[in-house]
Parts: sequence; C-alpha cells; structure tokens
Amino acid sequence: MKRLVFSLALLMLAATGLVRAETLQIDGSTTVGPIADAFAEYFMRTNPGLEITVKKTGSGDGAAALIDSRCDIATLSRFMKDKEFKSAVDHNVFPVAHAIAMDGVCIIVHPSNTVAALTTAQVRDIYNGKTKNWKEIGGPDAEIVIVSRDTSSGTYETFHEKVMNKEELAKNVEYVNSNPQAQARVKTTAGAISYVGIGFVDAEVKALKIDGIAPTKQTIANGTYPVARPLFMFTNGYPKLGSTVFKFCTFYLTEKGQEIILAKGFVPVTNY
Amino acid sequence: MESSAIKAKQGTLLDTLAPAADSHRPLVLTPTEDIRGFLTLHLGRMALFLVTCTSVLAVFLIFLFVIREALPFLAKFSITEFLTSTSWYPEAVTPKFGTLALLVGSGYVTIVSIIFAVPVGILAAVFLSDIVSMKIRNIIKPIIEILAAIPSVAYGFFAVMVLAPWMQQKFGFSTGTNALNASLVLAVMALPTIISVSEDSISAIGRELREASYGCGATRMETIFKVVIPAAHSGIIAGIVLGMMRAIGETMVVWMASGNAAQIPHPWWDLSQSVRTLTATIAGDMGETEKGSPHYRALFAAGLLLLVITLCLNMVSEYFLIRAKKAGGKR
Amino acid sequence: MRPGVRIAIDKIFTVVAGASVVCLCLVLVAVLGPMLWRGGSAVVFKETVEFRKMQLVLFGRGDEDKIAAESRQAETARAKIYSTIEKFKGGIDSGNLIEKARQIYRQFGNDLRQTDQTAEEVAELRSVTRQIRDRLESAFASSNTAEVNESLAYVLNFKDDPRFKNTSAAGLIGLAEQYSKDIHGINLAERQRYYQELRQVEDILIELLGPAPGAATPALMMNRFGATRWDLAQKLLGRLLWYEEWIKQGQGQPMVRHLTPRSQRFAGTEIEGLFAYIQQNLPEMLKPRPTFYWQYFIDDSTPGHYFGGVGPEILGTLLLTILAMLFVVPFGVISAAYLVECASDNFVMRIIRMSINTLAGVPSIVFGLFGLAFFVLFFLPIFGAPSKGCILAASMTLAVLTLPVMIRASEEAIRAVPQTYKEASLALGASRFRTFVKVTLPAALPGILTGVILSLSRVAGETAPVLFTGAVALGPVPKSIFDPTRTLSYGSYDMAVGDKLAAMVPHNQFGMVVTLVLLILCLNTVAIVLRSRVFKKLAGH
Repeated sequence: MKRLVFSLALLMLAATGLVRAETLQIDGSTTVGPIADAFAEYFMRTNPGLEITVKKTGSGDGAAALIDSRCDIATLSRFMKDKEFKSAVDHNVFPVAHAIAMDGVCIIVHPSNTVAALTTAQVRDIYNGKTKNWKEIGGPDAEIVIVSRDTSSGTYETFHEKVMNKEELAKNVEYVNSNPQAQARVKTTAGAISYVGIGFVDAEVKALKIDGIAPTKQTIANGTYPVARPLFMFTNGYPKLGSTVFKFCTFYLTEKGQEIILAKGFVPVTNY
Repeated sequence: MESSAIKAKQGTLLDTLAPAADSHRPLVLTPTEDIRGFLTLHLGRMALFLVTCTSVLAVFLIFLFVIREALPFLAKFSITEFLTSTSWYPEAVTPKFGTLALLVGSGYVTIVSIIFAVPVGILAAVFLSDIVSMKIRNIIKPIIEILAAIPSVAYGFFAVMVLAPWMQQKFGFSTGTNALNASLVLAVMALPTIISVSEDSISAIGRELREASYGCGATRMETIFKVVIPAAHSGIIAGIVLGMMRAIGETMVVWMASGNAAQIPHPWWDLSQSVRTLTATIAGDMGETEKGSPHYRALFAAGLLLLVITLCLNMVSEYFLIRAKKAGGKR
Repeated sequence: MRPGVRIAIDKIFTVVAGASVVCLCLVLVAVLGPMLWRGGSAVVFKETVEFRKMQLVLFGRGDEDKIAAESRQAETARAKIYSTIEKFKGGIDSGNLIEKARQIYRQFGNDLRQTDQTAEEVAELRSVTRQIRDRLESAFASSNTAEVNESLAYVLNFKDDPRFKNTSAAGLIGLAEQYSKDIHGINLAERQRYYQELRQVEDILIELLGPAPGAATPALMMNRFGATRWDLAQKLLGRLLWYEEWIKQGQGQPMVRHLTPRSQRFAGTEIEGLFAYIQQNLPEMLKPRPTFYWQYFIDDSTPGHYFGGVGPEILGTLLLTILAMLFVVPFGVISAAYLVECASDNFVMRIIRMSINTLAGVPSIVFGLFGLAFFVLFFLPIFGAPSKGCILAASMTLAVLTLPVMIRASEEAIRAVPQTYKEASLALGASRFRTFVKVTLPAALPGILTGVILSLSRVAGETAPVLFTGAVALGPVPKSIFDPTRTLSYGSYDMAVGDKLAAMVPHNQFGMVVTLVLLILCLNTVAIVLRSRVFKKLAGH
C-alpha cells in the first residue's frame, strides 16, 4: 500500500518532464466564453493532440492574464481600458484586437411582465433606484428586483457606459457573476430585470425594445440598437500566420465559424 | 536451568525491542555510546520540535502575506472610510471601498443563523445527553455527523436550486436569494458544531449535581434548565461561538444564496432582502481583478478584517472552553 | 407551582426537545433527498436511440450494427414528418427562398470572375444583381401584398435583359416568377405566421430528433444528436404540442401564460395531423429503454457537461486530496507525537497550541488568499515553476487548511493509548523512541486513520481554497502536478451558477453534487466504522 502510494507520487512528479502536446490557453469573458468553448471543441476535434483550456471568469481577468502572459488569447466583451493598455505595454505585451462577433446587451424581464419596451432613460432610473415599482412604468404592481453583472465584467462596463452614463447604481442592486446566472435569476423571478448578451436570450426570458428598437440580428449588425457592441479576442501582437493562435483568431471569418457563432445566438461580423 | 531459560527468553525479548544493541548490554555506557545517545535524543527532539513549529510558521506566514498585500491599500486609503462607508464601488472611475454594508451583511446573516441554530442546538444537545438512552443516542449521533460532513458547496447548491425557488413561491418574496435563505442554511451548517460541543460539556457535568437536584424534588426539565445548563454554560457558550465562527467564515453558501447586493436592508428587520458578505465579496471579485491593483489590495484588506474578527471570536471561545474544562474538572 | 403543572411542563419539554431532533432529521432528508433523487437520474434513466448513437460516436461504446439497425427503424418512423413539412414549406418558406436567392447571387459572383470582362463592368453587374437580390428578399419577407407586387414587378423587368440571359442570375428572375404564381390568392399575413411558427416547430424537432436527414452535420457536438433521455424528450414533446403565449390581463396585472394546442394553430393545413402522429409514434422514433449509466463516473464530458460524465472531476479531486494527505499526514503525526511525548507546559508550548487553534479558526477563503499570495505568487517561482494555479499549490493550501484537524485527531488517538502499554515497553528496556514507533503508534493507528479519513473528506469538499490556486471550470485532464485541474467541488459551483448549457441538463448538475456528497459520505462511513472498532479494541483491555 505504501509502495503504491509512493510510486504514484513519483510517477506524477516524473510526468512533469514528459513531452507535452500543444496547448492553448484562453481566458476571459463569460459572454464570449460559449463561443470560445465551441471553437475550442471544434479545434480539439479536428486537431487531435491539441489541448485548449478555456477559463471564463470575466473580461477583467482575461486582460490581466494577457498582461501577465498567462494566456495566449484573452476574450473580452469590451475594448481594453487605458490602464490595461498601459500596463500591457509596460509588461512588453502589445495587445491586438480581433472583433469576432457582434453582440447586443439586451435588457431582459420575465415573460409575464407586461412591459415590452423602455427608453434608455427609464432603464437608467430603474438602475439608479428612482423607479421602484413596475407599475410606475406601465407594468404590473410588483417591486422591481434589479440584477446586475459584477463590476469587473465587460457586459457591466458596456451597460454602465452606454445606458447608465457612468452613474452609480442603486444600493439594493443584486450582483451576479455571469450571464447565465443573470438569465437564471430573471427566469425564476417575476419582478426581475437584468441585462445579458443576446446569445443568452431564449424563450424563457423576454428582451425589451430599447428606444423603440428591438435587439435582433439586423439591428445589432447595422448598429441601430443602442447597446450593440463587438466581442473581442486579444492576442499579444498579431499571431504568426498559420499558427494555431492565428487559425483560432481568424476562425470567425470561415463559414463553420459563423455557423457556430450563429448557433450560439450571436451575430457574425459579416452578413453573407 | 530455569534461570538460564529465563535469561534466554529475556535475551530474545530484548533483541526484538532493541535489536541494534548488544544482547549483553553492559550497565555502564562507553563515552561514545553516551554521547551518541545524548545527541540522538536531543537532535531528535529538536527535529520534532521544528516539525511541530510548522503550524506556528503557517499562522505567521498567513498573517504576513495577507498583511503584506493589504498594507499598501491601508496606507493609501483611510481606514475609517474603509470601515464606515457603505459604498462599495471598486471599479468605478473614482473607486470607493466602503465595507460597512459588507460587514453588516456578514454580521446580519451570522446573527440570524445563530438565532435559528441556538434553540434547536441546545435542545438537541440536552435531548441527547439527558433524556434519551445510549442506544438511541448512538443512532442519532451519526445523523449529526452526516450533517457536518456535507460539503459547503452542496449546501450552497441546495440553497440556490431548491430553497430559493421554493421560498419565492411559498412566501411570495420578490427574490429567493436573500438574507433569510443564507441564514437558514448557515444555521444548518452551524448546528453540528453547537450540538457536539454543548453535548460534550453537558455530559462532563457529573452525576452528583443532577442527583442532588432530583433529590430536592425537581422535575427533569427544571433540573436541566436550572442546574445542568447553568453549570455547563461555559461549554455551551464556547460551542455557540464556534458555530458563529463557522457561519461568519463560510463562503460558498453565501456567495450562491445571499443575492450579493451590497446594501443594508432597508427596514433592518426585512430578511427577504438581499445582502452581501465579506467572504462572498472576496471570492467573487478576486478572480477578475488585476494583481496589484487597488481593488486587489482592498480584497486582501477585507480578508485581513475577516481574519481579525475570527481571531477575536477564537480567543473568546478558547476562554470559555478553558473555563468549562476547569468547571468540569472541579466536579 | 402545583406539582401537576410542573410535571405537565416537564412532559411538554420532553416532546419539544424530541421535536428538535426530529427537525434535524427532517432537515437532513430535505437537503439530501431532492439532490439524491435528481442526481440519481444522471445514472439511472431511460435512454433513447440518440443516446446510444452519442455513446458510439463519443466513447466508442456499443454494438455498431445493432445501433445502425435501430437508427434505420427510427428513421423510417420519422420520414413521414420530414416529408410533410417539406411539402408545407414549399408554399410558405421565405427563408428558404431568401437563401436560394443568396446562393444564386454568390454563384453569379463566382461566374463573373471566370469571364473576361473588365473590372468596372464586373462591379456594375454585381451591384445591379445585388439590387435585384435585395428587392427579391424584401418581397419574400414582406406580408404586404402591394409591396410584394411592386418588388416582383421591379425584378421581372430584367427578364429580357441581355446581360442576365443564360447566366446564373437568370435564376433570380425564375424565382420571382415562381413566387408570384405561388402567392396568387394566398393570405400573406397567415403565411408569415405559419412560417414563424413552423420555424419554432422545426427547431424543437431538431432538438428532439436530431438534425433532419440530408441537412449538413452541425459543427457543435451537442447539436448532432436529438434528445438522449426519455424525460427530456417528454419535455420537448410538451413544447411541441402546445403553443405558449402570454396574455395581458388587466391594468397593473402581470401577464399569464396561455397554452393552445399547435394543431389548432395550423388548422386546415397539411401539418395539422402531424402533431398527433408524433405524439403517438414517439416511442417508435426514439426507442427508449431503461439503462444504468455507471460509466458516468469515468467518462469525460463535452463542454458544458452536455454529454458525458464526471470522470476528470473525480480524478482531479482524488489527486488533490491524495497529494494534500501526503503533505499533511507526516507533519500532523509528528507534531502530535511531539505534543504528547515531549511537551512541557511552558511558554513555547502555549504559543504552539494557540497557533494550532488559530489555524483551525481561519476562514477557508482567507486560506484561498494565502494560497494565492504565498504558494502561487511567491513559493512556486522560487523553484522555477510557472506562477499559475496548479495542483501542487492547491494541495499545499489544502494541507495547511487541514493540519489542525490532523494534529488534533492524532493527538487524541495517541493520548487514548493506555499508559500501561508504554510503561510495559519501557520496563522491558526499550528506548522512548522505539516505544513510540513500535508500541504506541501501532496502537494509535486506527485513531490516526480516522483522522486521515476525516481530513480527506474535509479536503475533498472544500471549494474556496482551490478557487484561485488550482481549479478550473473547463480544461484538459492534468498531465502533471503543475497543471490546474477540474474538481468536483468547483465543478458543482460552476454547474449551479456559471454555465449556460448546464441549465439544459439538470440531471448533470445534480449528478456532480451528488457524486461529491456520496464520495464524502462513504469516506465518513469508513471513518465511523473504524472508530467503533478502535473503541472496542481499546475498551476491551
């Protein structure tokens, strides 16, 4: 028994020195996460021996990982901030952005909510605490349960910038850590309101029209939806032509890549 | 004849116990053997002592590293603002790091869970030690140990997948992940600690006290409430404080089930509102902050705060446990 | 107080105390019950032919010939559905027509590259064709008869244009002609509604039965198979048979869900009878069969745990716990030995004991912070290892977490050995070291093992310390101890709140948590059994 344990330990330590297969490390946003997952699955299936690790903890972490050279590709649902760019250059990392898909930050409510359209100003009033009950804006008589993404998320940044005009959110806002969690909260809570990427809107939640424009593939693709945004993959410098990183970052231009992006609910950058 | 046989037996026994030594070991040691024995004894002790000191080293390192990461933040931002402001907006343009709402959230959830857990815990401990036979006690003990063994992520899972929707349906709360949800589950997690420590200290009270009380004509309930529990009160309080430590240090359950709204509930008694604790903030924000940024250091400062609080609680419970041991020993 | 009242209060109190224990048992059942029930369905459930196909493709499991035969049978049963839908679509499918128009345009673009016209001519032709295509698309998509006729008229103007005769662009004009014939007399508004609702029906059918025969293989594995479980199929059937809409009630009231049978929505068309047909023949189309999927515990999973099992997670948890135990057992036992054998009640000893108690009280998230700051960022780089989360860092953090538990349990075990053993051995002339190693330690071994197992179960269940030091939600099986790994504990958290696909497979969510809980409960049962044996052994002397 002791010998077995000992030899197991030795084996594991010895395995460190073995030749590894090619690896690709991807870190970052929970919005772009499903696309990265799907790309990774396709790549690992077509290139046996390639190993891809995908971490989805937030755009901020993706940027931090790229700066520390802990990952090969960082997925972000917002552009890199000034501080992040400066810090990257200080660490000898030169981030290059690839816009792989388009997304719209959709304001979602429970399907039983009579409200179907709001203006940006109304959403702002909800999130900074001025409007407290749905009946004030034409909905049922129920308290508004405000759900927001956590402050390090790219989706939050986009929402904060374009809808909130950088105002502070109310104190009683609930924070969740990911898009699916936000969707799950709204799905199960009749008075909830939240915002997710369009890839996370399904039959169990209702996306509102903002300023009269519904978030559809067309309105996001031509930018008329007020809260449309591109989704990015950042690499350190432009990837070497023909390398795996290059193929991964340009996969969104191929038909298969666009099929995957559409299957995940996002909008391909090109609209063949 | 007999003596030689005995001597032979002794010899073999000595061989198994001290095979390296000469079977005809003299009663006087040579100088080298003496020094060798001395060195091995004391060096051996030193080695063991060093190994034992790893726990001291570990505690020291924990404090060192947490303080080291937190210090730049504490030097730059004012500690009073850190402790008394309710605005936690770490990623805003002008970041605000006020942990009062988080502290209140932690405290709120802990106190409510203790309010739920203490009556049930003490009653159960009393039941197990005084009222029920040994056989039934040995059947119920494993149930409590199973409750203690269930990992916290399983409790968190239960809280968010089963308890939250049920609470929303049954009580019509606007949100199922709220302070009540987290408190209930934390109470269940703190119960085994409270029960086992209280039960130990109640059992340690000797029979004489109880017999004296029964001899005066008291009923069982009166004996328990007026004699046994006051006699064991140090141990019970220690158990409660240990339960509080478990509740305040718990991360997964509150992260999943408390809603994470950095607010102080508006009518303070409204449990159906969402709160946020220190532990959930650290766990939730850490993965996304840049290493070395003020937000990162603020999280370490929050961790330091948590460490200080649990240390104080630890010392309080130690004090009561020592008192309980003394009380139990006297009788 | 009168004695009767006091006795009554006493009896009430007994009942209340008993109720508290009953309450505890109920809580245990309430917590474990739903989880075990729903998690059990990850292993014991009714599988369908899609499940068997998936197992064959992903894991190479199953009899290929039998599965192929079953697939053929299922396909014959399904054929009627697809043919009916095709016929119906011919009349109303604008999406298909739009797609055809686009293909023709692309083909024309390719053809133009082969001809030898100048670049400007090519560009002009392309832009004109593009305009034709766009007008045609708006004609297909619109439900306003006047608008449609106007657009069609525009396109048909180019019928006799010499530039497009005999080229592939003539196809566009052919489409326009066909369309104007098809829509003659059809109510365009209904047509839009039929088209949209048919799209819904088709989407549900893809989820239920897999991609339609003849359609391209989807890029994502999860879309290549239909419903793999019978309970999932039943849910999808419900969505198929009933059309859900939300009806306004009154001012200030929330909307309510209203269900109408889909056959009603398509009343009078060819596919009205399709729904009853599907409902009756679903067993024939999916061939359900009860199964025991024990390979759940060894299979890898597709992203999001849509298919597959928790094998890598179990492996990760086991690796972490075994490595942590390797670190903690020597330190714990030796420290306990020192505390029992050589300790005297002086200042240093008090400090050591205080540290052990302090360590026991530190919250697990602070251990996570410590593990990140010390092991990942400081310790590993000293040895030249990359400064990222890995199994080594995580297990060292867990070892520090569980050290007090180990020390306490070992100390108790060593103290519980009767003094007589030690005295007898010393009397026979053995040195103190030999006494300890050969007499006390073996006697204390069951107790120490109990401590090891309790530490194991604590370590297996901890999530907060491994969050930043070694756990990932999605990643390959670790190749060495310098790689991060998936674990049951972090995986359960991620499945509960982090993953979008996880919500579609609740049996996998609960399955992972239940695997963790069962693993820990098994370890604890072993500990309880060992402990009763220890008591018997030591009490017998």
